[in-house]
Amino acid sequence: MSTTTEKIKATLGKRYAREKRFRFYGITAIALSILFLVILLTDIIGKGYPAFTSTYIKLDVHLDAQTLGVTADSTPEQLRTANYNTVVQNSLNTLIPDVEDRKEKKALKGLVSGDAQYELQRQVMADPALIGTNQSVWVLADDDIDTYYKGNIDRTLPEADRRVKDFQLVWLDKLEADGRIDSQFNTILFTRGDSREPEEAGILSALIGSFYTLLVTLALSFPIGVAAAIYLEEFAPKNNFWVDLIEVNINNLAAVPSIVFGLLGLAVFIQLFGMPRSAPLVGGLVLTLMTLPTIIIATRAALRAVPPSIREGALGVGASKSQTVFQNVLPLAMPGILTGTIIGMAQALGETAPLLMIGMVAFIMDVPSSVTSPSTVLPVQIFLWSDSPERAFIERTSAAIMVLLAFLVSMNLLAVILRKRFERRW
Amino acid sequence: MENMNTTQHTSQKYNHELEEARSKLMTMGGLVETQVTNAIKALLERDSALGEKVAYSDHEINAMEISLDEHCAEIIARRQPAASDLRLLITIIKVITDLERIGDEAEKVGRYAVEMTESSTYGDLHNSLRHLGEHVKAMLSDTLDALARLDVVQAMQVVKNDQQVDDEFDSITRQLYTRMLEDPRNIKDSLNVTWCARSLERVGDHCKNICEYVIYLVKGKDVRHTNLESIRETILGE
Amino acid sequence: MTEATIDMTTKAVPKFSTAASGGREEFAHTIDGTVGKPYLDGKDTRFFCRGVNVFYGDTKQAIFDVNMDIGKNEVISMIGPSGCGKSTFLRCLNRMNDTIPGCRVTGDIKLDGEDIHGKEQDPVLLRARVGMVFQKPNPFPKSIYDNVAYGPRLHGLAANRAELDEIVESSLTKAGLFKEVKDRLQSPGTGLSGGQQQRLCIARTIAVSPEVILMDEPTSALDPIATAIIEELIDELRASFTICIVTHSMQQAARISQRTAYFHLGYLVELNDTKTVFTNPQHQLTENYITGRFG
Repeated sequence: MSTTTEKIKATLGKRYAREKRFRFYGITAIALSILFLVILLTDIIGKGYPAFTSTYIKLDVHLDAQTLGVTADSTPEQLRTANYNTVVQNSLNTLIPDVEDRKEKKALKGLVSGDAQYELQRQVMADPALIGTNQSVWVLADDDIDTYYKGNIDRTLPEADRRVKDFQLVWLDKLEADGRIDSQFNTILFTRGDSREPEEAGILSALIGSFYTLLVTLALSFPIGVAAAIYLEEFAPKNNFWVDLIEVNINNLAAVPSIVFGLLGLAVFIQLFGMPRSAPLVGGLVLTLMTLPTIIIATRAALRAVPPSIREGALGVGASKSQTVFQNVLPLAMPGILTGTIIGMAQALGETAPLLMIGMVAFIMDVPSSVTSPSTVLPVQIFLWSDSPERAFIERTSAAIMVLLAFLVSMNLLAVILRKRFERRW
Repeated sequence: MENMNTTQHTSQKYNHELEEARSKLMTMGGLVETQVTNAIKALLERDSALGEKVAYSDHEINAMEISLDEHCAEIIARRQPAASDLRLLITIIKVITDLERIGDEAEKVGRYAVEMTESSTYGDLHNSLRHLGEHVKAMLSDTLDALARLDVVQAMQVVKNDQQVDDEFDSITRQLYTRMLEDPRNIKDSLNVTWCARSLERVGDHCKNICEYVIYLVKGKDVRHTNLESIRETILGE
Repeated sequence: MTEATIDMTTKAVPKFSTAASGGREEFAHTIDGTVGKPYLDGKDTRFFCRGVNVFYGDTKQAIFDVNMDIGKNEVISMIGPSGCGKSTFLRCLNRMNDTIPGCRVTGDIKLDGEDIHGKEQDPVLLRARVGMVFQKPNPFPKSIYDNVAYGPRLHGLAANRAELDEIVESSLTKAGLFKEVKDRLQSPGTGLSGGQQQRLCIARTIAVSPEVILMDEPTSALDPIATAIIEELIDELRASFTICIVTHSMQQAARISQRTAYFHLGYLVELNDTKTVFTNPQHQLTENYITGRFG
């Protein structure tokens, strides 16, 4: 064996050890990140999954025309304002008789959600013939009751520390024994807007708000961003002071804190142009400003990645500059552009700070009907709920986070699919 | 290319290969020159041993021709030579053919020298033969010199001198006619002398060919089958 | 042997120093600058180039005063060491250099007597007349048919589908590819082998019926057999087109071209019949390059 071979052999062990060490570091880093991700997801899912069910109580109601103060022939307006509250009260009194104490009487009414009378109202308005009949109706339980049934209130605690008192527990045990307590899928979460009452709060208005906001953002930032990138990359003079200045500024804009864009939106769109506050239109404009640099940078990178041979080939058979760009270069850059755009949109979907500045943090019960109606977005909704004290809002916060994450994941998935679909080899 | 050296290629091995071909060529040239000198010496001095030696040494030249041919073929196959390198190889391949023929002529002269040792004197023919022999030797020496130094002027001189060799051969032929007419007993000897003179004249022709290749090698122009005037034009510039 | 010399009196003495690329003053007699036969004396001239200079930016000059004619139906090859300007010069001929920022071309280049830098000359039209094939096969990521049909569609050369089909078929046939691909015209051009891709690119170029085809090292990315097929094709195409080819392979230049131009440091040193260049080059620099004595 020559001396060289020996020398090399002497270093081999060290080299392999270094390689092994490096692999170990890498695997550790990945394992750690996976661990944190799992912890985060477990926490969110663990907290959030109960929000997908709600506790219902079955009431036997007598829709007495006299108590309600309406007849089957009453106008819808009269039906709407009828006295359903008393009907619910009476029904509860029948279920749990002999409650005399004023405080306990109030607590009895508090077993069911404020939504109970509206549930009756909806049913009666849908079918006025129900007036005068006896009906069995499942109504929403109060959020405290719901929390209790989800195991988040400990019976063994001293009564003063519980939100559900001993006498309420007695009633609940009785109701449960009668089969009047049930847990059902929480459709309200997906079909209603925000509410002060956790059991009635849903994310639909925030979802629609997010949808409108993203629609505006996409409609503006995609064409503007792609057009700007194409111009800068393909047509703008090279080594020109102004072009360089613009490039530097675009790169810097991508790093500007998003709240600054919010301030800009407040100052320009709302105060200067007088656009409505809290509207997806303004939110979309602000997020457009924020997303543009991302899209421009991604698009330029994608354009640069198209091999020059493709351009030369097209120019060589006599295509003009713009024909070359639009017929040959752009289709090849499309997967990259779409990926960049979707990543930009995903960022915009998760953005909260700039929207706070333009008033999209408002309490919105109604589902927004257009891009100018007041609305909020999903992350802001999460922010609002996380601020609420009720136990039931904690689980709804997590549930909303889960929905948001599902959207983000599906958007990224879409990006991957689009890239695979449009990707062409050259 | 101030001197036609083979040391400037990027590939050192190529340099060596070309250099080897050239030195082999010169070795072969030297061998041929010795053969011719010995053959003439054997003829003039009636040295049958030397004549025999010449006759039996020809195979060395033949072997060198084959080896050089192979070497050149290999270089062409491996290197695809161009321009001066290409002309060098073509020249070598052509020159060795002529050298080999010169070797053959020397062999013939050697054989006749052996045969003629028993015969009577050539008389005045001896002088003529010596003259022709000296002339051819000088011509061959000049040719090899021109080849070694790639000297086109000298090469042209050799081409020019070939005419004198031809003239001398004619003169010997005429002398031999007379001799044969004078005494038919001389015919056998005379014929032998004719063959020898004929071989020496052929050596001159081959030398002329070689010199024309030298001009081709250096100037890139083929001057075969042209007259001296156009050769001079080629050498001195268009 | 060491004293062996060659009489150099008739060899052209370099008119410029090879060390100083900026030595333009030494190169005052431009017409005499190139040895060999750079001019065709008006006989069947396709390209007429006089005093062509190319600058990159303000300081760097890539081509110095190139004068040459390119004839009809000839294959002219341009050889020279890397960075000698042969590709740059080739790209002058269809104004491909226009696409390079900071690149400036001066001098006269005439195609069939028309100044290609003239006011009424459109680079797009010029590139339709002077097609180009590149070093790396660069079919578009489209079908074989669409690749060939790209140019005709671009320039509106076919009135209907049938005409287009005909153009595509004849171009592919001329490029010697039709037999191999006729059953899969709709499959992607990028799925072909390297040599087939390059022939597809040639078909794409000839589909717009150019007068001249420029080829920039068209076989440097191909294996010897594909190279041989392309070389054969080039010889066939000579009947209908003028072909200028830049190549790194001297043997290729020797095999396929009628005339060969040798570029050195931006100067056109020698332009001569290919036979002459490869057996008896007239310039010392050409000789050195051809025989592998460069550098």
